[in-house]
Amino acid sequence: MKQQRLSILIGAAAAATMGMCGIAVAQAPGLEQLMAKSSNWASQAGDYANHRYSDLKQVNSNNVGQLQVAWTMSTGVLRGHEGSPLVIGDTLYLHTPFPNNVYAVNLKDQSFKWKYEPKQNTDVVPVMCCDTVNRGLAYGNGKIFLQQADTTLVALDANTGKVVWTAKNGDPKIGETNTNAPHVFKDKVITGISGGEFGVRGRLIAYDVNSGKKVWTAWSTGPDTELLVDPNKTMTWTNGKLAPVGKDSSIKTWKGDQWKLGGGTTWGWYAYDPKLNLVYYGTGNPGTWNPAQRPGDNKWSMTIFARDLDTGMAKWAYQMTPHDEWDFDGINEMLLVDLKIKGKDTPALVHFDRNGFGYTLNRDTGELLVAQKYDPQVNWATSVDMKTGRPIVDKKYSPGTTGPDVNVKDICPAALGSKDQQPASYDRKSGLIMVPTNHVCMTYEPFQVEYTAGQPFVGATLTMYPTPGSHGGMGNFIAWDAAQGKIVWSKPERFSVWSGALTTAGDIVFYGTLEGYIKAVSTKDGKELWKFKTPSGIIGNVFTYEYSGKQYVGIYSGIGGWAGIGMAAGLTGNTEGLGAVGGYKDLAKYTTLGGSLFVFALPDSARTASR
Amino acid sequence: MMKRFVVVLALALSSASLADDSAKASYQVQDGTKVDQKTLNGWKTWRALACERCHGAQQEGLVGPALVESLKTMSKEDFHTTIMNGRPEKGMPNFNTSQMVNENWEGLYAYLKGRSDGKIQPGHLYPIESK
Repeated sequence: MKQQRLSILIGAAAAATMGMCGIAVAQAPGLEQLMAKSSNWASQAGDYANHRYSDLKQVNSNNVGQLQVAWTMSTGVLRGHEGSPLVIGDTLYLHTPFPNNVYAVNLKDQSFKWKYEPKQNTDVVPVMCCDTVNRGLAYGNGKIFLQQADTTLVALDANTGKVVWTAKNGDPKIGETNTNAPHVFKDKVITGISGGEFGVRGRLIAYDVNSGKKVWTAWSTGPDTELLVDPNKTMTWTNGKLAPVGKDSSIKTWKGDQWKLGGGTTWGWYAYDPKLNLVYYGTGNPGTWNPAQRPGDNKWSMTIFARDLDTGMAKWAYQMTPHDEWDFDGINEMLLVDLKIKGKDTPALVHFDRNGFGYTLNRDTGELLVAQKYDPQVNWATSVDMKTGRPIVDKKYSPGTTGPDVNVKDICPAALGSKDQQPASYDRKSGLIMVPTNHVCMTYEPFQVEYTAGQPFVGATLTMYPTPGSHGGMGNFIAWDAAQGKIVWSKPERFSVWSGALTTAGDIVFYGTLEGYIKAVSTKDGKELWKFKTPSGIIGNVFTYEYSGKQYVGIYSGIGGWAGIGMAAGLTGNTEGLGAVGGYKDLAKYTTLGGSLFVFALPDSARTASR
Repeated sequence: MMKRFVVVLALALSSASLADDSAKASYQVQDGTKVDQKTLNGWKTWRALACERCHGAQQEGLVGPALVESLKTMSKEDFHTTIMNGRPEKGMPNFNTSQMVNENWEGLYAYLKGRSDGKIQPGHLYPIESK
């Protein structure tokens, strides 16, 4: 009943503003309409463009110091809690790490509207490289979408929680799993695959939101017909201009059949530009971490792709780290922002890569505009040659140059990058980007490996540690000018900032720390305005919504993820967890496992309508 | 006759103490972490096939048995059969299609025997330094 009333209200509003009439009463509200209302948090990023920004300003830099707990809920599950819930109208949709439970919660009294508790084979857990995380749900056309770890994509009726359709994307027996959130763009739900450490061949897949029919699959490596590229029309930045990628652009950059174990997995966050009708995402590492076994550029691993939403055909592609020697997956989010670059209004795409470079490209054409280090201590490359688009590698930090069984020391950043999947946030007021970063270096020793289906296909031993000769901490929270490629301010943190940021019109940016603090800092200078210690470390994304005239800010609390893998999986060896166990062993002094949702609001006395 | 026998035995014993225990395994180890090329390749095969996932990084056992114990009594022939055929009923895959295992299984046996004998240390190994 309530759903119908909501439809009528939205329909009436739409008719009034757009001059349309005859909106069907039973039609579920469109995602775009729901995202446009700042009282909702209707998608993982709040919008299609990965802004993670809210217009809500009841909570602002003047009063955020008074923020207090409004309500809490246990998720009932331990290990890493990534992503955030969704809030649509009077319902919050909560998700958990494996086994990926979903709860629809009534905001009125926090009772459950419905539950979906999938039965998944626990065999999938050992083939998830970096904890049993799940980056969250998506909403579209009256359905809630869950991407399960066992590669099953599930569409649930948003009102009842009943399964509407399912689709299977892959096979855990060969190391294929999922950690990514599905993304609804227009009439498609887009999802990817994980398993770059298991020799999995990466791809992005589009399904029809209503029928669950597979519409297209775009592979990251292999023949042109599987890549969904047009050799003459798909462009890439090269030689100071955009040029067609040419025939066999992937296959000719691999030796023999190596592209079949080529990685290029797709487990990050995706973005969509409705005007250009393009989906943007990045691909992960190329197969084995031992570069000697895969000579060549290994395209299209470590690549930013722009694809047509309806056909999957790539309009342009740009590879950031050719012939990777460091595991700098290119999967981090693409922020779609309109910037003034060298005086020109530019439809830009901004990306903070694992490799330590902050890239700005023209999201329409794929032209490379900016590539600068967003951590000055990055050393594996001195710079990116803006003409060729290729990094200028410092051979001193190149494990591929010294070869297998040679340990290379003090490479910065470590494999988990100057930033991993933890998403940044765009401050629409200042035009700056608020970025949660890592400040970690590594030793890296590659070695020969053989592929066995369903077994790890890695081939490197790592140790990780705080960047030497710096403030001693393993993270910074920074504000970045993407037009110039400059750090505007930087706030050091004891541990990597592994949570997603949220910026609001109240001139505050929120983020969470691995010790478990949720913090609010000023967007102007990073000055800390408020913090609260939640029960466990934070690796989720801060979100906000409004209900009954009150603004709420929320976050999952539950340590895990790659940085927290020692705690999450009970590992103790320095080099275990691909090196993260040793690097983050001090986390055990500050936190332990947990699983809860914390939601904050101002006390009634502090709430004012405007500043 | 007796004197010659004693001399031969003495020689046999001294060479055994050089190559440590099992003549069949015939690994050479220096300072616990430096081994002969064949044994080194055996360790690399252990590393390449990610055996530690089931048997533990120090062969101490996880879901699979502790090889430091098994190798005390398992013959070289039985080791060969097990690694080639696997133990499917117990969840161990076979490795007969692995090039590295086919080439280095004897060195792998030597490495694991050295671990089991307590003569080779866990972790990274290096070539014996030439004099």
